[in-house]
Amino acid sequence: MRLKRTLILMLSLAIVVVMAACSKGNNSSSPSASSSSAPPASSASTEPAESASASPEATGLDHSETLKLTVFSTTANYAGPQIGWFAKAIKDKFNIELDIVASNLTGGDTKIAAMMASGNLGDIVIWGDDKNHYPNAIKGGLLLDLAKDGLLDTYGKDIVATYPKAIEKAKVAFGSGSSVFGIGNNVASNPTGPSEGKDMTWGPDLRWDLYQQVGSPEINSAADYLPVLKQMQALEPKNAQGKKTYAFSLWSDWDGNYKMTLAKQFANMYGYDEIVDTALYTKADEEKYYDFLSEESWYMKSLKLYFDANQMGLLDPDSLTQKFDDVVAKYKDGRLLFSWFPWMGAANYNTAENIEAGKGFATVPFKEEVMYSTGFNVYGGNGIISIGADAKDPKRIMEFINWFYTPEGGMISAGGGTAVPNGPKGLTWDVGADGKPVITDFGIKAYADQQNTQIPEEFGGGDYYYGANQMNFSFVVPAEVNPEFGEPYDHNLWQTTLKRNPNKLESSWREKYGVLTPKEYFVKNNKIAVAPQGFTGKEPLVMDKTLEQKNKLIGTVIQQYSWKMVYAKNEDQYNKIKQEMLDKVKGLGYDEVIAFSIKKAEELYEARKSVQ
Amino acid sequence: MRSPSTNVAHVTDHGSGPRRGIPNKYKLFLMAFPFLVTTFIFYYLPISGWIYAFYDYTPGIPLSDTEFVGFKWFKSIVANQTQMEEVLRVLKNTVAMSALGIITSVFPVAFAILLSEIKTSWFRRFVQTLTTIPNFISWILVYALAFTLFSVDNGVVNTLLIKLGIIEEGINFLATNSNIWLTMIAWYWWKSLGWGAILYLAAITGIDQELYEAAEVDGANRFRKIWHITVPGIIPTFFVLLILSIGNFINNGVDQYFAFQNAMNKDSIEVLDLYVYNIAFANNFPFATAVSMLKSVVSVFLLFMANSLSKLVRGETII
Repeated sequence: MRLKRTLILMLSLAIVVVMAACSKGNNSSSPSASSSSAPPASSASTEPAESASASPEATGLDHSETLKLTVFSTTANYAGPQIGWFAKAIKDKFNIELDIVASNLTGGDTKIAAMMASGNLGDIVIWGDDKNHYPNAIKGGLLLDLAKDGLLDTYGKDIVATYPKAIEKAKVAFGSGSSVFGIGNNVASNPTGPSEGKDMTWGPDLRWDLYQQVGSPEINSAADYLPVLKQMQALEPKNAQGKKTYAFSLWSDWDGNYKMTLAKQFANMYGYDEIVDTALYTKADEEKYYDFLSEESWYMKSLKLYFDANQMGLLDPDSLTQKFDDVVAKYKDGRLLFSWFPWMGAANYNTAENIEAGKGFATVPFKEEVMYSTGFNVYGGNGIISIGADAKDPKRIMEFINWFYTPEGGMISAGGGTAVPNGPKGLTWDVGADGKPVITDFGIKAYADQQNTQIPEEFGGGDYYYGANQMNFSFVVPAEVNPEFGEPYDHNLWQTTLKRNPNKLESSWREKYGVLTPKEYFVKNNKIAVAPQGFTGKEPLVMDKTLEQKNKLIGTVIQQYSWKMVYAKNEDQYNKIKQEMLDKVKGLGYDEVIAFSIKKAEELYEARKSVQ
Repeated sequence: MRSPSTNVAHVTDHGSGPRRGIPNKYKLFLMAFPFLVTTFIFYYLPISGWIYAFYDYTPGIPLSDTEFVGFKWFKSIVANQTQMEEVLRVLKNTVAMSALGIITSVFPVAFAILLSEIKTSWFRRFVQTLTTIPNFISWILVYALAFTLFSVDNGVVNTLLIKLGIIEEGINFLATNSNIWLTMIAWYWWKSLGWGAILYLAAITGIDQELYEAAEVDGANRFRKIWHITVPGIIPTFFVLLILSIGNFINNGVDQYFAFQNAMNKDSIEVLDLYVYNIAFANNFPFATAVSMLKSVVSVFLLFMANSLSKLVRGETII
């Protein structure tokens, strides 16, 4: 009996202890978490006194103490401390070290959710898009209000002065009119024209050497590529290692958000793009849209195109089961003849050796093509950079972020993702006698072979690739003109680069199309549809949780059936699977999703008007 | 557990009469106390998370600011006809995979017996190590291996079959819906056969050697000895594991099916855990919680059912 009583006592004691421990944990995060309307104030007061100034910069901040920042990036593909030339540059200038936490490498969305639930997102936070997580983090009080205490006005002067619209959008869309919780990516100061670099986002690109050998036949529509590719395949049925060549090789590990990822590229080449997470494609520069699953949809037409390609033996049979890296390897091995993106085929196959041998990928546009182009965005894109609510030294962080919007910061790290940054001045590029930027010989080597180019110790050492800014956030759009030189930030667009002696592949391409770059081709021939990047001046529409769930489920069904259709044995089976898919998504509430999508399209049109 | 501890208490009580300090029974309790606390923290406290199933919870926003929605997410599992069919399909796969797993759970038993019959000790150890290693390879890597072996275009198996002239076109072993349950169970045992046999090997070592000697005197051959001594010797272990695996009937885990899933085999490979992962894990915590609550309830029910069945059949229980 006594034992029993003690047991009860002990157990209840245990409960009390545990509860106390837990609620303590909650308490530390709840002050910031509960104050959703009033921005958290704790962080502003925790920083060291400003009096002791060893090396005052223009902002008067003390840099004597090394500031270690945790960067939580949902877009980064590298985790750990920032190393190499970029680390050296920011250490020298700001005495800042970065430690990057990459959700992509540690569980994706699950990692983001775990970070959110923990209540601390680190010092700098980078969001891949401004949906879901970002607004939730604001509501949860996890982000610092940059407008508070004049933080932005004092330490973010260049952002405020050069890109005021980005701040305006941040206030209206996410900050209930007065707060700034983040700044959009790829921001520009001039709202007209296409914002891409030398190449557009899509091609299509073909193996230029083989295309010429079959007589460079005229291509009118997307479907016309098939017979041409068949001829090219007949010309080179096997690569140097004796392995079969294919026109298309797809991968499924990027599927998600409603689609089979590789079935939307032709829509882009017809001037349409999907509205993310909805069931509509809209025209870049007109108020036109179509339903994802309708007959006129280029999503469905692409499935048919791949189906036909498979019947013709042009489609890699391993498409469904392989991963992205396998496809990259196939491009490198010269086993593929078609590339949707310039950064895929050309980037992997056009090595110095292949170019020397006259082989390589180049853009071969079709007649009907109207390239979808993202216009310059004065409001900033959907990627967001924020400062965490519990950040160590918000003033220095703000000063640091501001630097990326100045000519100096822009030159060293413009770009992100697939773009190659310019690197440190005096090493990879320099200013010529005429005051224009020019790539050095070392730079040419470094850009072409990033991973195998060693950087001298005085610039930070390591290789060029891992030494680049690994936050993976593009602050200013790389095509933005740098006021210091009157030339874009992106080294690919400098006059000195474009006029540098072209190789055989480039000259034959330029000869055929009479232009220097693919971008020039699309612009000159008026085969481009630039989507104005505007803003409604209202909070964005979001799906409620129930609809979101339905949408997600419908998305997985579409994904699965898309692949089945591509690999259908014959036309009858293709049509049967298609009908099955249509019935199934209807049953799951596709009509509701469409209704929401149309509202989303109207929102988009309204936004576009703001910059016209 | 209980009887030795009371024995100890008895002995000391009688031996030295009343003693200073804490009485022994409390001492024993205090020894167990840390484990009680650990169990409480790691097994009972997390149950409080079930509350999320009743809210429209999003990570980052405190629960107090989110809307209470009652049984909405439970109802959404069976919201309409198509949704019902989806859930039934997923449950069918779950039951099938688990049933196959339970039926084939005799494999490690047989393997352990065969292994213990190998008399050359280096060879036995070699085989055991070789079969245990795959257990430590992640399913993602197993898939990478499967891809190099079975891909159409460049896979070892297809290349071999084509070179031998058995087939002309490569067979897509990975992107097919036929026999997917069997393929999955085969991969499962390839990975865990050696590991699963370890417990049985331990049980076999525990069998009294005298029994074998006596059997030998009685003229039993090798097979008879296995059948009449080894098998009955490890049956209790087998049953304990069997009952536990019945309790885990609807928890297939995600890894294996996640790695191997693709559009062609998804209809048959999507088990409950994978389904929840695919549609809810990243963005819908309440739904995932609701499903896992139902799973817990069903698991407890199954475990007790298996336990009472065992009582009926064998007169023994494990709980």
